[in-house]
Amino acid sequence: MSTVPTSAEAPLVCWNCHERTLGTHFCSNCGKLRQLPQGTDYFALFEMPRKLWMEMSELEQKFLRLSWKLHPDNFVNASEQEREVSLKRSSELNDAYRTLRDPIARVEYLLAIEGERKEGEKKQQAPPELLEEVFELNESLDELREAKASGEDLAALKAQLENAEKNFQEKLGEVDGELQATAREWDAVLTGDSATRKKVMAKLNELLNRRSYIRNLVTNVAKELTEV
Amino acid sequence: MAYSDKVVDHYNNPRNVGSLPKNDPNVGTGLVGAPECGDVMKLQMKINPETQVIEEAKFKTFGCGSAIASSSLATEWVKGKTVDEALAIKNTDIVRELSLPPVKIHCSVLAEDAIKAAIGDWKKKHGVEAPAAAETASH
Repeated sequence: MSTVPTSAEAPLVCWNCHERTLGTHFCSNCGKLRQLPQGTDYFALFEMPRKLWMEMSELEQKFLRLSWKLHPDNFVNASEQEREVSLKRSSELNDAYRTLRDPIARVEYLLAIEGERKEGEKKQQAPPELLEEVFELNESLDELREAKASGEDLAALKAQLENAEKNFQEKLGEVDGELQATAREWDAVLTGDSATRKKVMAKLNELLNRRSYIRNLVTNVAKELTEV
Repeated sequence: MAYSDKVVDHYNNPRNVGSLPKNDPNVGTGLVGAPECGDVMKLQMKINPETQVIEEAKFKTFGCGSAIASSSLATEWVKGKTVDEALAIKNTDIVRELSLPPVKIHCSVLAEDAIKAAIGDWKKKHGVEAPAAAETASH
């Protein structure tokens, strides 16, 4: 078994040999599979910088290599504890891959580990213009639903719905374009001062919020369309 | 996840759905949203400027069952209350009444925000920033 050196994490004590170890995946001392050091984020797990642009083939290769190393099949004859670690590590690895592979989930995750994603009770209020717009779009969708319920001309209704879908898709495309541009901005200020980083993250956060409203509209209109 | 009976009841028979004339000086409108789920909630109240009593309340919510139930309950609760009493409604009261699970707490926060936003809008129309009591005194 080889050890994978890590730069980001402080040495921790190995569960098996009780020595301080530097390996991210395997103990640099006894070679046993390690528990993921606390505070290791998904980027660090793949030994990648916290950049939003990634080479998908590189991520995939790293994932395949790691999943091969951590796979429970390799530990059938190992101690129960090591088998458990392998299971846990494999499932963490899958979560990490799923998250980083998806460009939107990746941004959400980045903001979460940087402490800039406002969720739940500490949510951020969306700008009033956006709420007005979303509310109106929802209302127009509601009108279409009512028209459907009252059995109005289905062909005309379908055309309207398709039109609405196109409109929402376009908006989603716009937001995704802005997200991509802002992601590039983030990569450029990765090592910059914290004020600049915070500004870019606030922008990313706002775009994610906007995106979730529009994504809902897209989903809702698509649902109506399948039922026409 | 299973919704509580009260949530289901409000969802199936939402109270006070609709809208009030936005430009009526006695109507306050609150429009709030929860980005994490894409829900939007509009809550409107007609408030008597003499008595400060909320005479009518309407809502329209685009969102999940809990968001609809929270706003429906909010309109029921604020009706007949004074502005100050309505401002005292906390999201935790809504959570308790509807037995909302932790993942749906933000729906109740949304409803509380909507009440505050609607009253804030009404106060702005009346040019009051100060506590509502000052408004009564001037009449």
